[in-house]
Amino acid sequence: MPDLADTSRPAAMRAVLSPRGVKRTAILAIFGAAVLVGPLVLDPYTVNILVRAFFVAIVAVTVDILWGYSGYLTFGQGAFFGLGAYTLAITFSELGFGPWQAIAAFGGAMLLGALVAALVGWLSFYPGSTPLYATIISLVLPIVLVQLIYSGGNFTGASSGVVGYFSFTFMTDTWFRIAGIATLAVAGLAHVLVSSDAGRLLRALRDNEMRCAYLGLDTPRLRIVVLVACAAVAAAAGAGYAAFGGIAAPENAGFIFGTQLVVMVALGGRGMLVGAIVGALSIELASAYLSSILPFMWELLVGIAFVAVIVTMPAGLFGLLGAAARRWAPWAFTAPEPVTLRTAAGRAEVAQAGTDDIVLEANDVSKSFGALTVLSGVSLTARRGELVSLVGPNGAGKTTLIRCLADGREASSGAIRIGGTATDKLPPHRVVRLGLGRKFQAASVFETLTVADCLRIARAGRDKPSLVTTSSELALPAAARSVVESSGLDARLEDEARHLSHGLKQALELAMVLALEPELVLLDEPTAGLTRAERQRFADILTDVVERERLCVLIVEHDLDFVRQISSRIVVLHQGELALDGSVDEVVNSQLVREIYSGHQVEKTGEVTQ
Amino acid sequence: MGNILLDMITTSAILFLTSAGLLVVFGVMKIINFAHAAFITVGGYATFVAHEIGLPPILGPVFAFGVGAVLGALAEWVIVRRLYARPLDAILATWGLGLILGQLVVLGFGRGVQFVPPPIQGTVAVLGTEYSLYRMVLILLAIAVGLGFTALINGTRLGLSTRAVIMNEQLAQGLGINSARVRLITFAIGCALAALAGSLLTPLTSVDPLMGLPYLIGAFMLVMVSGGSLPALAVACIVLGGMQAIISTYLGSVLGGLTIAVFAAIALRLRPEGFARA
Repeated sequence: MPDLADTSRPAAMRAVLSPRGVKRTAILAIFGAAVLVGPLVLDPYTVNILVRAFFVAIVAVTVDILWGYSGYLTFGQGAFFGLGAYTLAITFSELGFGPWQAIAAFGGAMLLGALVAALVGWLSFYPGSTPLYATIISLVLPIVLVQLIYSGGNFTGASSGVVGYFSFTFMTDTWFRIAGIATLAVAGLAHVLVSSDAGRLLRALRDNEMRCAYLGLDTPRLRIVVLVACAAVAAAAGAGYAAFGGIAAPENAGFIFGTQLVVMVALGGRGMLVGAIVGALSIELASAYLSSILPFMWELLVGIAFVAVIVTMPAGLFGLLGAAARRWAPWAFTAPEPVTLRTAAGRAEVAQAGTDDIVLEANDVSKSFGALTVLSGVSLTARRGELVSLVGPNGAGKTTLIRCLADGREASSGAIRIGGTATDKLPPHRVVRLGLGRKFQAASVFETLTVADCLRIARAGRDKPSLVTTSSELALPAAARSVVESSGLDARLEDEARHLSHGLKQALELAMVLALEPELVLLDEPTAGLTRAERQRFADILTDVVERERLCVLIVEHDLDFVRQISSRIVVLHQGELALDGSVDEVVNSQLVREIYSGHQVEKTGEVTQ
Repeated sequence: MGNILLDMITTSAILFLTSAGLLVVFGVMKIINFAHAAFITVGGYATFVAHEIGLPPILGPVFAFGVGAVLGALAEWVIVRRLYARPLDAILATWGLGLILGQLVVLGFGRGVQFVPPPIQGTVAVLGTEYSLYRMVLILLAIAVGLGFTALINGTRLGLSTRAVIMNEQLAQGLGINSARVRLITFAIGCALAALAGSLLTPLTSVDPLMGLPYLIGAFMLVMVSGGSLPALAVACIVLGGMQAIISTYLGSVLGGLTIAVFAAIALRLRPEGFARA
């Protein structure tokens, strides 16, 4: 039985011996053999071209990780390549060639790349930055860098670059093997990373960054870390290239090269490492041969192919091949490992020990857009074990209030404390860490991740995901597990979230929010668009969770019957002000609520408003 | 002193001319047209062609505007329209479009440099110095483009539809506005304005396949900073263009060339929502 063998071996070994591990090792061995044999069967010109192409392919892999996997379209990776190339070329020119200089050159290249990437990352990613802005900044980097190179005089060689330094005296065949194995190593590491539990975070960032932030993940930091790592790798590839070619030129750093990398990844297939590598190798090879035969035509053809691929097959050539293979040869794909549910060690004792402690305290919260005030002076407290409904007509400020509670930067004035800590100016992920969970109005999940992976991302803040292995277990706190089981999601853990029905997506998002083990849960119209049966099940789950876990739930809802059934308290917002705050009976039978919901004015208040 | 002041103003005018088309597309379609530089180049070559076929110099910019509009409309119809749902891909596709246009220009005219004789020559005495007359005319042209576009947006039925699409595209569609048509016309006008800018640049720079590129990043940054508003763009051009002229004069043209990109990037980092409502 594999199970017996599994438990007696360390995790890394199990990973290698699993069917997936065997497949990985076999693929690596085949490509490794090809790299070793390559120089013997290829002509010297092709070997020479391919050495360069390998270094480019390494950068293309980093572009694929940043763009294909984590959704950051960057034109700046070429600049890190150039930075690495120049670091090595200048080190060897100024300090001479030798073992310690070589170490200094490669180490310096990676360090410099990492530092510049940290700066670019700081500029590009912050709570609220847009993908478009980050992309534009990635264009600024190579432009600034090339200008600096041009004005660097003899130090950077200006427009002719740095040439004429001594470097390694390997044969081209040896370079081919070194560069080829380096490419395989980078691709192998990248593959392990992107298919690990932590690697899923990248795709989660791509699919839905806002959801990530509201799961307590520091998305800007995550993106900066990935960029820094990718920049260091790109810089090392650039250093390798300069060591091989004996030149560092401005076009190795420029934004044309940066855009060529994106073209390569797009044509090969973004979000697939093999696509990036094959795209880079084939474009490099083809342009070496064709640009001399068809000088202008070749680039025109690349441009046309690029546009055609973007428009008609965004997954690229390998995306298309992959889809075809899945259809015609499904046996070649290993089925996803079944996921087993487990209950995470929760904080049961906390939930029981608590008395009537206050979870949420909002004091005089206002929000205005210029002269328009949408929320004025709202004060509200909520305790454990309470299910507070927030009602009011459209435009009363319910969603605005939810936003102010969930994001410390939203409110114009007033004080909000969650779990006793002020949220003033805190971005969402910090507020979430104070014990808040927010479910959006439209189900917000990670569309291309499986149900189990969506839930794992929600747990990432508490159970540190592994960078190497893929877990086949899913540990959820009791409340989240009960939502998964009662909604029937447990039968679909291996399905991608985009294939779920609307109701199941809502349940999934609720389970994700509960997986955070929050103390305060904000639900914005969670039952909109659900069937009557789904709605009833939702009510049962909710009241059950509030009772058992003594959670505090704040729910925006329009359906008064539903509200009456589940609430322990009702708060009415009207024209941006808190109009009523009382028990279900008090509020449902009040004059104001009847007035708002029946649509016509009752005489008494009618006079007041006139 | 007068010279620097005039440099500041004319630099701002050139920046405004070269980024107005980009802003128009960004404002309505929420995408950045990466083919913008290629359309500037197309405008330069259109002016060259207009000169070769013997059109009077005054018609050069008009011809360029027309060529830009036709090519822009075609590009929107064939490529961009299919990518409304994927904005980052739309950006990439416009980059590809730029590659294609650039290579077509190279195929048609070669990599060499072409010259178009300037329609206006000589200098004029302003603020105590002799200053290039053509650069002074550019100030007026920039103002004319700004006012013309404002009039189009605020004074015509098309402008009304456009504003509706900017505010709420789905609602506009529901009210019977053909938003696809608005997008087509917007993209065409954006490209036409880029080509017009390219045409107006011909007396200042040589016409070559990469002539639009130096203006691309500046235009991107100015449009991002202005947050899609034309008056804000004008202000951004005056502030950053002025700084560029000063830094170019005192610290060299290399640093001058980086002024806009660096300052705009930092400004956006500190104030992410742009300066539209400043």
